[in-house]
Amino acid sequence: MNKNRKRKTLVPMLATVMFIVLALSGCSGGKSAGETGNGGSGKGEKVTITHYTIDSEDRTFIEKLIPDFEKEHPNIKVKIEKAPYEQFDSKLQTLIAGDKSPDVTSHYGYGGFAEYYNKDMLLDLTDIIKEDGFKAADYSISEDLMKIYTVKDHTYGIPVNMYVTLMLYNKDMFDAAGLPYPPSDYEDKSWTFDKMVEAAKKMTVVSDDVAKTQYGVDFTWAERDMRPLYFGAQPYSEDTWTNGGVPSATHFDSPEVIAAYNKLFGLINTEKVSPSTEWSKSVAGQNGDPFVAGKIGMSVTGSWSLAGANDFPFKIGVAAVPWNGDNKVRSTLFVDPLLILKGSKHPKEAFEWIKFLLKNDIQEKSIDLSGGTPPVSTKAAETYYKHFDGIDPADIKNVYEGGVKYGFESYNHLVTNYSQINDMFINEMQPIETGHKTVEEVMPIIQKKITEIIKR
Amino acid sequence: MSTIPSTGPHSPSSKVRRRRKFDAVRVMSFISLVIITFLMLLPLFFMVSTSLKSKREMLKFPPTFLPETWQWSNYKDIFDTLQFGTLYGNSLLIGGLTVVGTLISSSLAAYGFARYRGKGKNIWFMLLLSTMMLPYPAIMIPQFILFSKMNWIDTFLPLIVPAFFGSAYNIFLLRQFFTTLPDELFDAGRIDGCGEFRMWLKIALPLSGPALATVAIFAFIYSWNDLLTPVLYLSSSEKFTLPVGMASLTSSRFRIPPWHLLMVASVLAMVPIVTLFAIAQKRFVEGIVLTGIK
Repeated sequence: MNKNRKRKTLVPMLATVMFIVLALSGCSGGKSAGETGNGGSGKGEKVTITHYTIDSEDRTFIEKLIPDFEKEHPNIKVKIEKAPYEQFDSKLQTLIAGDKSPDVTSHYGYGGFAEYYNKDMLLDLTDIIKEDGFKAADYSISEDLMKIYTVKDHTYGIPVNMYVTLMLYNKDMFDAAGLPYPPSDYEDKSWTFDKMVEAAKKMTVVSDDVAKTQYGVDFTWAERDMRPLYFGAQPYSEDTWTNGGVPSATHFDSPEVIAAYNKLFGLINTEKVSPSTEWSKSVAGQNGDPFVAGKIGMSVTGSWSLAGANDFPFKIGVAAVPWNGDNKVRSTLFVDPLLILKGSKHPKEAFEWIKFLLKNDIQEKSIDLSGGTPPVSTKAAETYYKHFDGIDPADIKNVYEGGVKYGFESYNHLVTNYSQINDMFINEMQPIETGHKTVEEVMPIIQKKITEIIKR
Repeated sequence: MSTIPSTGPHSPSSKVRRRRKFDAVRVMSFISLVIITFLMLLPLFFMVSTSLKSKREMLKFPPTFLPETWQWSNYKDIFDTLQFGTLYGNSLLIGGLTVVGTLISSSLAAYGFARYRGKGKNIWFMLLLSTMMLPYPAIMIPQFILFSKMNWIDTFLPLIVPAFFGSAYNIFLLRQFFTTLPDELFDAGRIDGCGEFRMWLKIALPLSGPALATVAIFAFIYSWNDLLTPVLYLSSSEKFTLPVGMASLTSSRFRIPPWHLLMVASVLAMVPIVTLFAIAQKRFVEGIVLTGIK
């Protein structure tokens, strides 16, 4: 009986489902056709531009700025399209290939500016800038920063946010070890790399009890391939920075680079004041930061770590990245530009939107809306320095100004095929960290592989 | 009843002894099963426990076993942080229709492969199976171009309609099951004037409860967990699915992810899967009982 009833209901059920699907398809198909009709007809003067960004609060806050912009520009409508971080690049590539290219975006995924530039995804903004009369100085953007996204005198991107490298330190751990706090002044030459190691030794506790283990310093300065620069060694040839990120030569097996890596990995393996990646993962999770768990005395990291500062369960301070001989580069800059994609159908309107986002008052407003994203405008920066509870604004200002003075733009934005390079570095350097291979053994392999990746 | 006490004085004691021995083994295996169950449930326990912790407590190391303060408001906050209800509804709708689509299309195709005789049938079947070797990224862009030309971007259609065109793995699974059904049943149906479609509906499907339940679970879990396809095709946030919303919680490289809220989302996301399993498991047993032939 039961079975029969079930059989009887099956047919109408299938029919209903089919009907729903058909109705659904008819409905939505019509709607989207209507939408494109409006957008592409050109009858009305209104155009819609799309800004593609990451789906996280510190990026999507721009949605809140749209009403003001649309009031100023009644003929331009702005639509925000978002994707999670991991899928950012895949979606962008697919949208471009499917002729649904967004108008404005930035290199928020794994691929950097150089990768986009070499894939010919970016629109040359030089003419638009000339026609518009745009001057970086009007927006308090320094010319040095404008140069980062200029290739052979053609501008491809306009900076909007800027992160520097800084040292975050756990005041509670410093107090417990009876150590003085490190200085935030970059010109204080008494604050050296060796001094940092000395302080780190006093804070490091390696114990069988996981709860007691803590390390003095986590020196995650820039991405792995850039770290030799801190020790004054140049792994990529000079032309990389002027020709769009394709190095004519790399020097990853040079004695200077090898010495630099030996000093760095020495922190983990010989000095034993830094944690291994495994330990960090076990304490803080896959992409987590053990500093957040209160297990690291000093963390050299990007200034984005400040954004979470108000939630840390301990007191923190900011300090300068220590001096190391006469090194000129002590900070990695992470300048995010706004880019117009080649597939954009309304580049001029997109440029209006970019200019709007760069205005001083909007940059100031953005700091709060985003929860502490650092503006590129030097004027708005003053507001940014004051944004963090419990950290002296003067220290943040010192660290920012020093960071810019001794800064170099991050390689991940400037070298082509960077996502592949970075993956390769992580994989190849793993055995050094675990002590299974030496730097001398690994670097020639990296040098060979990187040459292949760059040629791709 | 009265025969039991009359079996004599020796037998009860020997019975008891035997039962005791038997019990010891049972108790041992019971204890070890309980221990293993607890081990298996430990991650689940941490998921639920973290979902009730405050943001500050979640960062503590070593982590606390139970929340110091039970923050039930997390379960309300998730609805404010994400448009959780909308995302949940979207995922359920897409998942449900995917299951229906997969069941209809895959069982029809599988029925054909199992019961029809035709030239080159095996070659077609091999061809079908070979599509399993194509990774999604390989067809991602062509498929996107196709659907974008059909004006299906930012609708649920690219996520649902493909399910109505069969999936190789499920067709394979069902075909294997259908071939085990005895020919006699279909012969009898044919004698009584049953058409092929009717035989699919009235003989093959009702006898395949367990296989259909398996396919339904596979299809639902696949759709429920799928992240890349909705990310590619959906652009308005009110159309996002649950995995897209959950992924965006950890999207910021610059923040500490709100793990406690993510755990709330995970706990709630688990509910339909567990329910489906409970329902399908019943069908599973029922299917074996009803077939009676296997």
